[in-house]
Amino acid sequence: MSTHDEARRKFLVGAAAGAGAVATGGVSSEVLAQVQAPVQQVAAEHAAHTTAGKGLGAFLNAEFTEAVAAFTERLMPGAPGKPGARDANVVNYIDLALAGAYSDMQDFYRRGLASLDAYCRKTHNKPFVELNSAQQDEVIGALEQGKASEFTWPSQQAFFNTLRTHTIEGMFADPVYGGNKDFAGWKLVGFPGAHPAFTAADMQSKEAFTGAAYLGLQSQAPRNRG
Amino acid sequence: MATEKTDVVIVGAGAVGGILAAELGKAGMKVIALERGPRLATKDFAPQDELRYFQRQDLRPDVKRQPVTWRPNANTRSSVIQSLSYGNQAGGGTVHYGAVSWRFHEDDFRVRSNTIAHYGASAIPEDSSVIDWPLSYAELEPFYDRAEYDLGVSGKAGNLQGRKIEGGNVLESPRKRDYPLPPLQVDQAGSNFEAATKKLGYHPFSTPRAILSQPYKGRPGCSYCGACQGFGCHIGAKSSILVTALPEADKTGNFKLITGAMTYRVNSDNSGKVTGVSYFGPDGSRDNTIEAEIVVIAPFVYDCVRLLMLSKTEKYPNGLANSSGHLGKHVMSHIGARAFAAFDDRHVNIYMGPSAQKHTIDDFNADNFDHKDLGFIRGAQISAGPAGLEGGPIATAMNMVMPQGVPRWGAGFRDFFSKYYTRHVALTGQTEELPYAAQMIDLDPDVKDAFGLPAPRMTYDWRRPNEVKRMEFVNQKLLEIGRSMGAAHVWRAPSSPGAPGSHHQGGVRMGSNPRESVVNKYGQTWDIPNLFVIGSSNFPTSAGFNPTLTIQALTYMTADAIVNRYRKSPGPLV
Repeated sequence: MSTHDEARRKFLVGAAAGAGAVATGGVSSEVLAQVQAPVQQVAAEHAAHTTAGKGLGAFLNAEFTEAVAAFTERLMPGAPGKPGARDANVVNYIDLALAGAYSDMQDFYRRGLASLDAYCRKTHNKPFVELNSAQQDEVIGALEQGKASEFTWPSQQAFFNTLRTHTIEGMFADPVYGGNKDFAGWKLVGFPGAHPAFTAADMQSKEAFTGAAYLGLQSQAPRNRG
Repeated sequence: MATEKTDVVIVGAGAVGGILAAELGKAGMKVIALERGPRLATKDFAPQDELRYFQRQDLRPDVKRQPVTWRPNANTRSSVIQSLSYGNQAGGGTVHYGAVSWRFHEDDFRVRSNTIAHYGASAIPEDSSVIDWPLSYAELEPFYDRAEYDLGVSGKAGNLQGRKIEGGNVLESPRKRDYPLPPLQVDQAGSNFEAATKKLGYHPFSTPRAILSQPYKGRPGCSYCGACQGFGCHIGAKSSILVTALPEADKTGNFKLITGAMTYRVNSDNSGKVTGVSYFGPDGSRDNTIEAEIVVIAPFVYDCVRLLMLSKTEKYPNGLANSSGHLGKHVMSHIGARAFAAFDDRHVNIYMGPSAQKHTIDDFNADNFDHKDLGFIRGAQISAGPAGLEGGPIATAMNMVMPQGVPRWGAGFRDFFSKYYTRHVALTGQTEELPYAAQMIDLDPDVKDAFGLPAPRMTYDWRRPNEVKRMEFVNQKLLEIGRSMGAAHVWRAPSSPGAPGSHHQGGVRMGSNPRESVVNKYGQTWDIPNLFVIGSSNFPTSAGFNPTLTIQALTYMTADAIVNRYRKSPGPLV
C-alpha cells in the first residue's frame, strides 16, 4: 500500500511539474512564477491528501477508492512478474467509468460499498481495507456464495459479479479507458493488443506471439488528436 | 409531420432490407427504408476496441432505451434481458456478426416429414409444433448461390452436384457450383480440430464465412486481425450489408434510407390492404407517414412481431396478419453446448483470425447421424473457436468457465487464466431447437421502451426433454473431441439457464396454408397480400446452422417474385 501511494504521489507531483512546463511556452518568467506557484501549491496539497488517503477521483471519494482498490486487488492480485489490479490501475478505470459510461451505477457502488463496510465491521470490527488478505478473501468468498449479510440492493452476488466484471474490464480494456496501465493486463495474459493484421505463419505458430509492440488505441489515433 | 409516397417501404435496413432495396431498386421500383439506428461506415470501425464493441455492445440495442423482456413461462414475471445480440444500425446484425454463412440441409426444410419417415411420428415430442417448410432446398439453391456470389462468401464445396469433395462439407446438400472465394486461412485451432476430428472418423472443414479470403468486388481480403464477432470490420472485408447491398441500392437512384426513424405502426384500410407505415422521425417528430404500394417488415424477430401486434385495428383485432392466431408463436433460438480444451505443450493464440466458429464438423447436425434410440431428434453444428466468440481477453475472461477446482477470482484464477488464455480452444455445439407454440413473443404489459411503446416480451425456456437430451449428447461429443485434440485439460460448461440464446427464429412462421402459419414462402402474409414480413421470423424450424445466409437467400427469392410476378399482377404469390 505505501509503495503504491508513494508511486502515486510521485506521479502527481510529476504531472503538476509537467503542467507547469507546458505553460512556459512564450510566457515571461514573471508570469510563469505566478502560474507555477499555485500549481505547485495545489499539487503539494493534493499529494499530501493522497498520502493521507484523501485524494479524490472523478467519482470515487478517497474511502471508496481505497476499498475498490483493495477489493479488486484481491480479485486479481499482483505478484512478482504477474501484474495485478493495482498495477493495472483498475481502480482508475472504474472511477472514470463511474463518472462516465457507467454513471447510472454510482448508487450501486455507493450502496454496495456501504454494505461491504457494514458487513466487515459487523464480522471483524474493521473496514474492508484494514483486514488482512486472508480475511479479505474470506469476505469476498462469502459475497460470491451469498453467505454474507448486510446487503439489500445491490445483492451481495450482484455486487461481487459486477466488481469482477469491472476488474476484468479494467485489466484488459485498452489503456485509453484508464486501466490496463502500461498494458499490464495484456502482458499478464500474452495478448498483443489490437493488431490490424496477422500472417498465416502467425496463426499456425505454437509459440507465444512476440512479433510486434503492444498496440493501443492512442498509438493508432491520428496524430493531431492533441 | 411528413408524408411521402413510394412504391415500397421497408422497415429495417439489415440483411433483408438492404438486399431488397438493391434488387427492387435495380428493377426500377422506388424504395424507402426506415432504420431506427444510424448508418455507419468502415471508417467508423477503426481502430478495434474490445470494451466498446464486444463488452459494451456498441453496435447492438441499448437495453435501457430498447428493452426486451423475458420470462420462462406464463406464470412468472418478466424481467429485462440485459444483453441483446442483434443489430441496431443500417446493415443490421451483419455489421457485427461473425459472418458464418450456411446453406441449410435438404432435411432442414422438412423436419416433420423426414422425422416421421425415419423414426415414426412418436419421435416428435407431443408438444412440439414442428412443420415442414413450404419450400425445398432445391427451390432455394439458386438464391443461396446468388447470395454467396453477390455478397462474397469464402468456403470450399463439399458436394458439387452430388460429387463429394474432401476438405469441404461432404454432408452439405448438393450445390451447382463452388463458393466464389476459397476458404479463409486456417489457424492452429482449426488445424488441431481438423486432425482430432478426422482421427475420430468425422468430416471437418473450414467454416464458410462471408469474409473475403481474397480481394473481391473492390473490397480487400481479410487481414486476420480477429475483430469480427461484435465488431464492425475495420477494412470492409466482412461482407456486411453496409459494404455490399446498401451501396448497390444507392447506385440505383431509386433508394432512400431514413435513419433514426422508429416505425410504430403499419397502417391499413378496410379494403384488406396496408397503406404504409407511421414512424417517429430523427428530429423528434411523431406523425410521419410513408404511403406505399408494398410494405415490408424486416427488423429482428422481436420487432416483426411487435409491429404487427401494435398495428391492430377493429378489422384486425389480434394484430395485423394474425387471422391464424400464430403470430408471435413457435419462437426458437440457438443454445450452445460448450466445452474447453487447454494445452500445456503449445500456444494456440486464438485471438488471431476470423473469430467465430472457425472450423466445423457437420456429422452430428440435422439428421446427418442415426437418432434411433437416442431419445431426441435433430442435432448441432460443432465448431472450434475462442471462449467468447471473439478472442480478446475481455470476452475470454467473461466467457471461459473455469474447470472444477479453479476459482473465478484471486491468484488461482489469475494463474489459470494467464496461462491458458493463449492456450485454449473452446468447442461449441450450436444446437437446433424444435418449435413449441408456448415459446412466444407478445407485448409486455408493464415495460415500455424510450418511445413509450410496449417492450417485446419473450416467454421461453429451452429446457424441454428433447433439447436437454440433445444438449447432453452434444456435450459428450465436445469432450471427446477435446481429448482427441491432445489437450491437457478438457472440461465442459454447465448448461445455461432457460433464457433464450442468439439467432432467434420463428414468430412469423411460413407454412403451406393460412391456418397454421402467418406467411407463405415469400414472406407474404396470407391475410394481406401487399404486406410482407421477411427474416428468420419466417423459419418454421431452426436448423443447427446460423440463419443469415438463409435469410438472405429467401430475400433474393422474394425480390425475384415481386419484380417478376407481383409487380405485374399484385395479389397472392402462392
